[in-house]
Amino acid sequence: MNKKEKTWGLIILIIVFLGYIIPYTFLSNVTKWYGSFLLWTILAILIILVNYLLTKSWGDEE
Amino acid sequence: MSTTLVWATIAIYVVIAIVIAFLSRNGKQNSMSGYFLGERKLNGFVSALSYSATTYSAFMLVGLAGLTYNGGIGAFGFEIIYFMGVSLVAIFGPRFWLVGKKYGYVTPSEMLGDRYQNKWVAVVAAISSCIFLIPYSAVQLTGIGYLLQGVTNDAIPFTTGVIIATILALVFSYIAGIRSVVWTDSLQSLLMIITSTIVVIMIVNGLGGISGFFASIEENNPQALAVPGNGFFNFWTFLGLTIPWFFFSISNPQVSQRLFMPASLKSMRHMLLGFLIFGLIYTIVSVVWGFSASILFPNLENADLATPMLLSSDLVPPVLGVIVMVGIMAAAISTIDSILLTLSSLFSRDVYRNIKKDANDKKQLAVGKVVIPVIAVLAFLFAQLQLDLIAVLSVASSAGLIVIVPAIIGTFFWKKGTAAGVIVSVSVSSIIVILIEATGGLLFGLKSGLWGILFSTILFIIISLLTKAPEQKADDFIGYVKEKMKNKQKLT
Repeated sequence: MNKKEKTWGLIILIIVFLGYIIPYTFLSNVTKWYGSFLLWTILAILIILVNYLLTKSWGDEE
Repeated sequence: MSTTLVWATIAIYVVIAIVIAFLSRNGKQNSMSGYFLGERKLNGFVSALSYSATTYSAFMLVGLAGLTYNGGIGAFGFEIIYFMGVSLVAIFGPRFWLVGKKYGYVTPSEMLGDRYQNKWVAVVAAISSCIFLIPYSAVQLTGIGYLLQGVTNDAIPFTTGVIIATILALVFSYIAGIRSVVWTDSLQSLLMIITSTIVVIMIVNGLGGISGFFASIEENNPQALAVPGNGFFNFWTFLGLTIPWFFFSISNPQVSQRLFMPASLKSMRHMLLGFLIFGLIYTIVSVVWGFSASILFPNLENADLATPMLLSSDLVPPVLGVIVMVGIMAAAISTIDSILLTLSSLFSRDVYRNIKKDANDKKQLAVGKVVIPVIAVLAFLFAQLQLDLIAVLSVASSAGLIVIVPAIIGTFFWKKGTAAGVIVSVSVSSIIVILIEATGGLLFGLKSGLWGILFSTILFIIISLLTKAPEQKADDFIGYVKEKMKNKQKLT
């Protein structure tokens, strides 16, 4: 993996990890829309952003 | 729902889809890569829509809504973790694509066989995919049968629904191979994303807008907005469900084969980003359906009825309800036709070619085309039989296919991986997963998928270290990928 992939890959791993940990710890008693629902939505949008940046250099060479 | 309306909508859908399938017949389909990969020339837009349609089966709008109905917001988290796993395409996608072009691979198992320099690797990987994916298709067919039977109050009998779906899947994959599949898939996913979003807007409006919607959940069942909530999604269940799905994009051949198809990396990028946007919308839609059903119909005996009940409710105009219902049928078909095509390419390329000596490209294609209806009939028969074993294998499919993941990671990142390592890890771990699923799905409290990835990783590493790796091939293969990826970085 090149350096860019390693950096973004690590960020993806951290996002995934947060997706497991936070809902089952800090948010397990927050029974509102701004609890786990909001967190997972935000993490999903972050994932789209990371993929956007990580694949920015993919060219149209066939 | 009115039976006439359902039949009329199905008829309109079939006519439009068949016209589109015929229009897609450009380019050559007389070679393996032409028929199964669209000559590696697919553009980003249809790739994205088709990737979405293939990934999201009828499970989403029926099963995920049902899971939300039963277990609350944990179902959303489950699907989001899967969604995050599709980021693996950003790492593995360009690598599959590069070696696919260089070595001419048609299937992911062919790539494994060549990389580990042993045809039995390809045979074992192909067969294990068939064992899990044919029953998975059968269960999709069963789902369509029940759905049509349910919403028409038995006016469309179970068998009729299953026959319609089987024939359509067969026709869509037959007319122009992958091209007719991706174009009919695109029709289906566009139709679904638009109509299901409209349904959500109508339902949420009916429940008093977004604030009213959440207020109703907080009032009726506040537990549903947190995990573990009512206990349905305890942490270990959540982990056991999500881990196999996290790796779905590289473990399931009907989607990993897609990584060989885009015309360029730019097209692949469009496929990935398009899928992610589509997937997030679709996930939110399905989860909102489940919650809405739990507000409107709190005492359903079977959670899978959540979607049919919602679509037949007063909040949704009947015509729209029927369109979405037929869209759900189409969603199952768009998953099955891709699986049909992938499995037949696996059989002709990896089993037939490796067993028969003079199997040239033409013969492989002929065999592949014969195998498509055979697999369709098998799936149909399995759906009719409704055997317990089929249900077990279907549930086990995501967990069972995960056992190939260590071998795929090793393909690109570990020069010491060996053919013996792959064969032992895939075959032994598949059997372990099936045994766990057949005896209740848990071993020491953990789900089969977790054992699958654990056993396959350990076996792959240990057996590989004990046997001799194909050094020359590993150097060429990994060296080539490394060089190309480095150049790509320099360009930016």
